[in-house]
Amino acid sequence: MTTARQTWAVTRYEFRMQIRKRSLWITTAVLAVVLTLTQGDRGPRHLPLGTPPREVMAGWALLMSILLPIGFGMVLADRLTRDRRLGLASLLESLPTGRGALVAGKYLGGLASTAVPAALVLLTAAAAETAHRHDPALFAWAVVAFALITLPGLAFVTAFALVCPLLTTAPLFRVLFVGYWFWGNMLNPDLFPSLTGTLLTPLGDYPATWLMGERALYAGADGWLEFLRPQPGGTTTVLAIALLLLLSLPPLALAPPLLRRRNLSA
Amino acid sequence: MKHLPLWRHELRRAGWTACSPAAALAATLALTAAAAAFGTARPQLERILLTGLEALIPLSAGMAAVAVVSRDPSRELQLTLPTPYTTTLGRRLAVLGGLSAALSIAFSAALALGGWWNGPGLPYAPLVWAAPLLWLTGLALLVAALGRSVVLATTTVAAVWLGEQLFATSFATTPGLRPFFLFMTTRIGVPTDWDANRAALTTSGALLAALALILLRRPERLLTEEET
Amino acid sequence: MDIQITGLRRTFGKVTALDGLDLAVPGGMYGLLGTNGAGKTTLMRVLAGVLPPTAGTVRVGGHDLTTRTGRLAVQRRLGYLPQDLGLYPDLSAQEFLDYVGLLKGLDDTAARRRQIGELLDMVGLTDAVGRKLRGFSGGMRRRVGIAQALLGDPALVVVDEPTAGLDPEERIRFRTLLASIAAGRTVLLSTHIVEDVAQTCRDTAVMARGRVVFNGPVADIVQRAEGITWELVGQGPPPAGGVVVSAVSRSDGTHYRLVSPTRPDPRAVPVQPSLEEGYVALMHAGTSA
Repeated sequence: MTTARQTWAVTRYEFRMQIRKRSLWITTAVLAVVLTLTQGDRGPRHLPLGTPPREVMAGWALLMSILLPIGFGMVLADRLTRDRRLGLASLLESLPTGRGALVAGKYLGGLASTAVPAALVLLTAAAAETAHRHDPALFAWAVVAFALITLPGLAFVTAFALVCPLLTTAPLFRVLFVGYWFWGNMLNPDLFPSLTGTLLTPLGDYPATWLMGERALYAGADGWLEFLRPQPGGTTTVLAIALLLLLSLPPLALAPPLLRRRNLSA
Repeated sequence: MKHLPLWRHELRRAGWTACSPAAALAATLALTAAAAAFGTARPQLERILLTGLEALIPLSAGMAAVAVVSRDPSRELQLTLPTPYTTTLGRRLAVLGGLSAALSIAFSAALALGGWWNGPGLPYAPLVWAAPLLWLTGLALLVAALGRSVVLATTTVAAVWLGEQLFATSFATTPGLRPFFLFMTTRIGVPTDWDANRAALTTSGALLAALALILLRRPERLLTEEET
Repeated sequence: MDIQITGLRRTFGKVTALDGLDLAVPGGMYGLLGTNGAGKTTLMRVLAGVLPPTAGTVRVGGHDLTTRTGRLAVQRRLGYLPQDLGLYPDLSAQEFLDYVGLLKGLDDTAARRRQIGELLDMVGLTDAVGRKLRGFSGGMRRRVGIAQALLGDPALVVVDEPTAGLDPEERIRFRTLLASIAAGRTVLLSTHIVEDVAQTCRDTAVMARGRVVFNGPVADIVQRAEGITWELVGQGPPPAGGVVVSAVSRSDGTHYRLVSPTRPDPRAVPVQPSLEEGYVALMHAGTSA
């Protein structure tokens, strides 16, 4: 069996296990409803009729990115650590499947399983907006917004949520993750040195700004690490996405030796 | 003290979970140092230090409380012992609360001694962290017991915490929400209704925690990390 | 400490684990046999006060287990070894027993420590007393389990599948240990290993599909297979219509022992049944066997 086939096998079963989790769906649904109801006057629901569908769906994708990745991070936090708890570590170590394929499969399966509910939320929003605005192009822009705003952030969050608990513990990671999410995405960089508004913001600030045609949150705002805060636009959107995907790789590369250390310890 | 050895055992059971409040304060100090290096003004730095107490300690306690009630390899055995398991859980939560309190008091005292304290008068200082801690922990425990899901409980805590940070203005200006605004000290200061806010948080937090413990008396309400 | 169970039902959603179970257990060592999924573990958990019954009455030593006070009274005199005993890996055996002892209300430190020392000696763990539990083998973990169950000198000891996964020597040692503690107390041994019950218990109950299908002396189970146990030497696969209990390949062919209500093959000869064959006959009564 080739490594690619092994990875595919792990991906499929990781996806199946995750997608069946009651808590994944309840969490997604609750957060999506809360965000929809509390979005305030500046939210996408209140954009005037005639607003380009690109802006509407970018607004929805950005709104959902505020909290949905938090729920997904909580769901994914124990996926690499649970095998040992369940007594499966020895069995997995004995299989010809390499740890690299196992980690890659868990990553891809985890990413896919969180992407599905996130995509469904955006398509639901598109359906509701279509009933209101009578523009079927909203569905197409929902897909674009998902691909540019939601998915790169999920790829980043999935990598760190899988691997960080191998270094700390799942409960400690959950605390640090919430703190990081606020500091790195939404804390005004004018008030405090933070990663908010930089190219490294997994919230999707740069892509959202590009799609909306105006600053979505803080993208490019003055602050700490000025070189990471270029003027938002098409090129910087591509750069932001590429950087997020690139930053997802180091934790994944570290995961196999960390997993080995964990599984082989008494 | 007759039960001292038992408390010692429960302290060991807390394990890594007990490190959460310390990690929260370490993160606060790191953020403050980074902000100082960035040239942030002193009042702002004082507010960051206070945020560690009012926001990060309660967040860490809430998350750790979910871990306390969701992880126990000997749970089946525990349920057969004459000491009710809720009593044992109560002791473990008390250990967590005690550690958070000790660290917070020491941190507050250090800030006061160093002239960095920017909160209410020192006799009221414990309410800066104790009220939101009790409220967030109570909420976490209740959602954990009702939903039987670690993910749901931790996400709820995270969402409420983030929501109150992001929509601080709404919480501060809406009369129905203001008594439950967790971060009044760091976001507004010490207005005249600060005492009422702390009292509302403490009372409702205690109520949430009591409800959760009543629910956790039923073994089938005990969640595990796996079934979620 | 006697056990009286009447009409016990326990359901989990749509699944019925115990279906109107009746059972009376006197003192001494008592076996509880049954296939996997027969409801043994659920019954053990009900008896230990972990699970409340859905319906029916359970009285242990005169205490009603369905009430809070009754449950507490029983738990004060109970030693329980669950099927999957999770141990705190960061504790040593002595520390784990100390912790359980405290939770059992053994507040006198000197007496508790003395008892822990005696129990560790009894289960043969004196040499490993300071080692962390994470390094213990399966057999050692079970021995820690039985030591904690015996803390506080309980009148009722409930052990669930204690020998599963142990090597033969460890299994024999463990069941001998169980038999040795049965004097003066009730020991309820739940297992699917017939041999364990045969070697330690005079009386046993057999469970199937959430009910008790047999309750009496172990020797009576053997009678269930008398006249329907056969031996056959053949070359091919076993004949249809019976339950093969053993198959030993030798130079003259495969020696089968079967339980079958009718002669399964003209060459089959009736033989004296074993306890295991009696158990098989009991479990297949009313079906093909």
